[in-house]
Formats: sequence, structure tokens, C-alpha cells
Amino acid sequence: MVENSQSPFPEGVIYGFVIFLSAKFVSILYLVWTFIPESWLICLGLIYLPQKYWAVILPVYLFITIVISNVLLFLINMMTTSPLDPIHTITDNYAKNQQQKKYQEEAIATLRDIPISEVNQMFFLAAKELYTKN
Amino acid sequence: MEEEQSFLDICGGSLTLQRRYYSPSCREFCLSSPPLSLRSLTAVTCTVWLAAYGFFTLCENSMILSAAIFITLLGLLGYLHFVKIDQEALLIIDSLGIQMTSSYASGKESTTFIEMDKVKDIVINEAIYMKVIYYLCILLKDPVEPHGISQVVPVFQSAKPRLDCLIEVYRSCQEILAHQKATSTSP
Repeated sequence: MVENSQSPFPEGVIYGFVIFLSAKFVSILYLVWTFIPESWLICLGLIYLPQKYWAVILPVYLFITIVISNVLLFLINMMTTSPLDPIHTITDNYAKNQQQKKYQEEAIATLRDIPISEVNQMFFLAAKELYTKN
Repeated sequence: MEEEQSFLDICGGSLTLQRRYYSPSCREFCLSSPPLSLRSLTAVTCTVWLAAYGFFTLCENSMILSAAIFITLLGLLGYLHFVKIDQEALLIIDSLGIQMTSSYASGKESTTFIEMDKVKDIVINEAIYMKVIYYLCILLKDPVEPHGISQVVPVFQSAKPRLDCLIEVYRSCQEILAHQKATSTSP
């Protein structure tokens, strides 16, 4: 949808506006149902509506769900963080099976996963001044 | 020849690194953390006993007080014997292997030895442990594949030194490993 619409009214705007209008309508309906007493609604003929109890409970449920999902997301993050042991902190199947292209003079070298031994030698053995000054 | 230097660990506590050069092909690195301080011990004991006294005033059962004393004693003994590591040592002997020793506060020592045939390299790796930390680890060779890595063994797990200490240990280890590779490839 992004590349072929140069006009200022793509379809997404219309969908958004419909959702905005319906959300406003539902919220006004909810407020009307909550505050108008039961007897007036029965006079109007609406006799089969949910109990007013739910007008208070549903926002409370929503709030508790949001709070618990925040905590849950943080805990899921902590569970999926891998410990220091496993081999996949160093390498994995894609890095083991990568092909090596021949080195050409004056060309940018191909992107590849450099083994950790070489990286360590480059960082810590060669550049003595870079880290010991800290 | 012995050398001693003080460093910081990742939480900001102080560590002491002792380097011993027994010979050109044998070196030992000992990282010692400070022993259990009287201040933290008194703080924990006072908290537990005050909480127990609070429960006692609520429910008038004197078993709570004796249970609190018992729990504090057992907890202290268990902590000293199973959790608190006072010193970690890494001994590298060229052409023989690498030995890691952890000595606990109660005097218990646990040792792991890895033969030099299995060791591929010693590297400094980065990982996430509530934040990004650097840790030293030993890479073991894969018996099936000549250039593969079969296992990663992290070293200095409870002392957790910072990068400056790790660089010192890494450079010394690489000297020995380079020497070992040179002698092993030339028959």
C-alpha cells in the first residue's frame, strides 16, 4: 500500500476514521447506559440490558490485566535470556556453514561471521592502549 | 614470582587478583573476594530476629523465637558452605591442562580439570546478565569436527571481574596457549 499511493487519501485514513467514529459512539453509549437509572430505561422499553454491576467491573478487569501483563512481559524476558553456558552465545548453525569467498585486492571483503578467537585477538592483544587507559 | 593487584567486580565490590608465575609454562591466577563482613551479618540477623519478635507479639507463641534462632544459624552455615565463594583460582599448565578451583568460606573446595587436548581457546565473551557483562570462558574442541566448538565453560563465575582484570588474565593465557600451539604443530 505504501509504494503506489501518492494521493493524500489512502485507504488507511478511511479505516482509521471509521474506527474513531465507532469508538466515540460506543463510549457515549456506555456512559448513557451507566448513568441513566434503570426505571427510565424500562420506560423507554429497553428491558433486557446487562446489570449495572458490569459498568464498574469491566474497567477494573481491564486495569488489572494491563498491570499483570506488564509484569508478565518482564518475567518472560528474563526467562528467555540465555545463561552464560550454551554454545549459541558463541556460534550457531548458520555461522558454521557459511561459505568463504576468495579475497580480492581493493574490494570490500564480504560480510561474514568472524570467529570469536580472531575478534578477541584483534581487540585485546593488538590494541594495548585502547583498553588499559580506562 | 608473585604479583597482586586489586580490581572491581561488576557490582562495584573489590576483588584481588594474585598472579603467580611458577615457570614459563605454568601460571596461576587467584581471584579473592572480601570475606563475609560483620556489618551485613549483623544486619541480616537483626532483621530476622526483629521480624520474629514482631510475629511473637502478634500471636504469643514462643516457638517463633526459637525457630528464628534456628533458621538464622542454619541459614548462616548453609550460606558459608554452599554459596559464599572466597577464592577462585585458574591454573594453566602448558601441555597438561587447565584447572579451576573454587574455595568456599567454610573451607570446602571444588575443583575442575580440563585436559589441554580438549581446549580450543580461551576467549572473552559478552552476554546479558541483567546488563551486558564480559566473562572469560574456555572453548572446548568438538571431537567430530576439527574447527568446531562443542562446549563453553565460563570461568570466574562467582567473582565476576570487570574487563580490565579479564584482559590481564586473557593476555597471560594467550601467551601460554600460543606457546603450546607452536610446540604441538612442530613434531
